[in-house]
Parts: sequence; C-alpha cells; structure tokens
Amino acid sequence: MKNYDLIIVGAGPGGSIAAKTAAENGLKTIFFERGRKPGEKNSSGCGLGPRMFRDFPELMKNLTPEKCPSMRAGVAARNYFVNDNDIVAGYIMARPTESVTYEPAKSWITMNVYRSEFDPWIAEFATNAGAELKNSTLIVDLLKEDGNVCGVIDEKGEKYNAPIVIGADGVISTVAQKSGLRNRWAQHQVTITSQYDFQAVPEKINNIMGDEALAVWWGSNFPASYQVFFNDGFHQGLGNWMNWWDKNPLYYLNRVINLKYYQRLLKILEAKPRELQAHLLPWLDYPYNTHTNGVILIGDAGGFPCPLEAEGIYPAMVTGKIAAEVAAEAILSGDVSRVALKKYDNEWQKTSVGEEFESGRELWNIWKALPFSPKETMSWFVPMIMEILGGIFDWSQPHAKRIRQIVSHVKSYMPKATPFIMGYVFPLVAKIFEEDLDKIMDPKKIMKILPKLLDLLPEKKKRRSDKVK
Amino acid sequence: MKIEIESLTKRIPGTGDFISIDYNKCNNCERCLIICVMNLWRKKDGKIHIINDYKSKCLECAACYQVCEAEAIKFRYPTGGTGIIFEKG
Repeated sequence: MKNYDLIIVGAGPGGSIAAKTAAENGLKTIFFERGRKPGEKNSSGCGLGPRMFRDFPELMKNLTPEKCPSMRAGVAARNYFVNDNDIVAGYIMARPTESVTYEPAKSWITMNVYRSEFDPWIAEFATNAGAELKNSTLIVDLLKEDGNVCGVIDEKGEKYNAPIVIGADGVISTVAQKSGLRNRWAQHQVTITSQYDFQAVPEKINNIMGDEALAVWWGSNFPASYQVFFNDGFHQGLGNWMNWWDKNPLYYLNRVINLKYYQRLLKILEAKPRELQAHLLPWLDYPYNTHTNGVILIGDAGGFPCPLEAEGIYPAMVTGKIAAEVAAEAILSGDVSRVALKKYDNEWQKTSVGEEFESGRELWNIWKALPFSPKETMSWFVPMIMEILGGIFDWSQPHAKRIRQIVSHVKSYMPKATPFIMGYVFPLVAKIFEEDLDKIMDPKKIMKILPKLLDLLPEKKKRRSDKVK
Repeated sequence: MKIEIESLTKRIPGTGDFISIDYNKCNNCERCLIICVMNLWRKKDGKIHIINDYKSKCLECAACYQVCEAEAIKFRYPTGGTGIIFEKG
C-alpha cells in the first residue's frame, strides 16, 4: 500500500493540470496513465482556443514548435455547404469580426496540435511541480473503507491510498462507475467520432490553405464534418450521438472524403491517409453527478465538453484546476464528504465553462437539430442559405426579377424553417438575451419605429417607364 | 477513393481479452454491427459475435459497449501500455 494525499486517474490535459495544481498546493500527488506515455491513447486532435492562453498564460507561453512540432495556428475558418447531390454549393471563409473584444483573438482562432505531443508536454509541468506520473498503468477499481472511497487499485493488484480520488479518466470512466456516480452514459449523452489523419507537406498546406485553421463541411448526406490543419497534416472527422446511426460512421466519413471537391483538395495538397482514429465523446447539455464522498470527476469523465461544439481540453483543464484546489482545501480541513466537495460545483459554475452551460440546453438542442440532423434539417438549410448567399449570381434574368425569384423560393422553405426557428432559434435567443428581452420587446418602442417603416411603402404601384412616355 | 484502413493503425501487442458478449442479455439488436468503425462484429446462425482477432484490429473506442441496447457487451481498457496507439491523434 502506497500513501498519497491525492490520486488522479488519467494524465490527459485535465489530469495533468489537476496534478500540477495539487503538487503546487503541497499535496503528495500521483497521476496514472494507461498508455506508455500521456496522449498516445487520445485522438481528439485539439484546437486550442484563445481562452486557453488567457486563462493559463504561464503554461501556454511555453508552447513552442520545438516542444510540439505539429502546432499550427490559424485565423480563418471555412464553412463548405454541400447539397443533396454531394456538390459543394458554396462556402464562407470567415475571419475574426469587428465585435471580437479579446485582443489576441483578433489574430488567431485556434492553435492546432496533436495530442501525442501536447499531452506529454503538459504532463511535464505536473511532474516538474513534484507530482508522480505512473505510465502504463490501468486503474481497475476504487479502494473503499466503510463505504467511503480511500484510494485505487491497479490491474496488478497494487493499492494506492488517498482521501480523495479525482476521476480524469475520460468518457468511459472507471472512477465514475466504481464510485456509483454513473454507470453508462445514456445514448443521447455521448457521441462516436471517427476521423482520418492525412499527411501533407507543410509548405503545401500553407500555400493552399493560407492562414486557415479549420473547415467545417455542412451537408445533407452526412453529419457536420470538421477539418483541422496541423503543421504536416490534417484531420477529417465526423461524429454523432449513439442513437443516430443507421449506417457505419465510416460510411458517412468516406462520403465526405469522396466528394469531388474533397478529392480535388486532396490532390492539390498531395495528401495521403496516415492514420485512422475513433473515440467516444460525452456531449451533454449540463454536467451532473460530478462528485461524491472522496471523489471528483473532471473533463470528459464529468461530462464537461462544451455543449455547443464539444471542445474538451479547455473545460478539462478548468475543471481539473478547480478540482485540485477544492481537494487541497478539503484534505486540509479533514472533511472530504460529498457536502464539502459541493464547493467544486459552485466554483466551476462561476467560470467561463459554467457560463457556457448556463445556456447549454438551448445550444445543445439547436446544434443537434442542425448540423447533426442532416436529412431532416440540412437538406433544406443548405439550399436555403445558398439561395440567399449565391442566388444573385445568375445572368439569365433582370436582377429585380431574380430577387423576386429568390425571395419566393426562400419563402417555399418556410414550412420547414418556421418550426425550426420557433423550436430552436427562439428559445436560444430568449435564453441568451434573458435579461434584455423586455427592453428589446418594449411595445412602445416598436410602435415608435413602425409608422416610419410604413412610410417607406409606396402608396400604389408606379412604373418608372410611364414617366418616359 | 477506397482507403485501406487496416494499414492506418498501430498497436502494442499483449492486450489480453478486453471485449466480451453476454448471450443471456444479447437481444440481437445488431447496433454493434452498425457502429463498429472497424467492422469487427458479425452475425452467424442468428448469433452475434466479435471476430477472433479483434485484438489486432480494435480501435478501443468502446462504441459497441456504449451502443448495446441490452447492455450485453462488456468492455474494459486493455492492459496498461498495450493496444492501440495514436501518433497523430
């Protein structure tokens, strides 16, 4: 039996930050990794957002290409809209807009890096702070005394003792299961994601993609598929909730790969498939059962990926840091009960992660109903958006007639669009603008503007050509 | 474009068995057949089974365990330091 103050199961970014924080707080800390080194079991290929650099500046300023050769920052994102016939009907390339307030976020949107490089890099901060990292070790159960968790046991039967165990062990969390916090996720709480890594020469990527960091392929024949560019390669992946699939995930991913447009892109990038990856990803509207007596769950194990886009690394690091701080306080006070650890919830709820989940249900609902419901929603959304964006590029009609055709066609989508707007857009708007809604909807203000708008309407139809006569 | 997926994965041998199916629970929902990215599940004579050498093909995503309607599929991560590794994940 080995004794510690704190045990962390998992050495991903969340586990490592927890271990670093705990060691810095003077706790005798051990963290476990089932791979031979952190990151080699992970395939979420991360885009690190500016929030990471804002909230963990001391750490992130050390991230360099020498440490993580795969890193590649970009400032633009591309959205491809793919129609029913698997044709790219149009795309939007977007850069940070004028309303962006955080200064660094104006010059880049994500820093992309492979987990096989990022995770060991971040774990080193924890070991440098004094935490002990045990690789190639699978934790299989929790140790309990009088029903209370007091440590862990590995597959070789080795026992490790500590008053608190942090579960940083990902989507299928042994700590969550053995502590009774959760057995298995429900089908609508977790997604399966499959992805290819393609190899390409850095110069080619830069010449062709410029400063684009990522792309999303929106289609009606597959769930939204993301493309993330690294220094010498890129990921193409897609996922959906477990209960969605009628065919194999690779069937849908291959459908993206086999788009004519995509094949052309592969050709000019001279890209070759290099690795196939798959993983589960919890994707919830709100985390629950995050702690119990002597146990705290962080990151994926706690269900913390962003409710809108399932970004997982940042929430894992935020919750990992807080969990270690709360654990340190609880261990010092001698009270590691569920009631004492409730502080964990109070603290993460105050962070940017907590604020994200405040409108989590509405964000989660709309996202699930839009890019992840290709047949139901994207089948009308793509042609509608392209009608608006691209409809004017037609030289076979007078422009005014063309605009009438476009408006009339957009109107034809309304039987499908209206229930969507009522069901998903309005609830989201209402939630986001909760406090301002009364002001916006003030009937007096509306009545003040309305007569002016009515003045703009012509009294009766007049043809300008009549004047010439 | 047909991508040969089996050459795109790398493993450290020595996993031992880590997936099993409980036939007292299996209700033949066939969700495992659909979901497995590596297509490792089969149905023969009305009975679902995973191929013999799944250990040399499995990506360890645990989708079969998660998707199973009857909770009949057992999954545990392979022995520490063995199994799939992602170099570009």
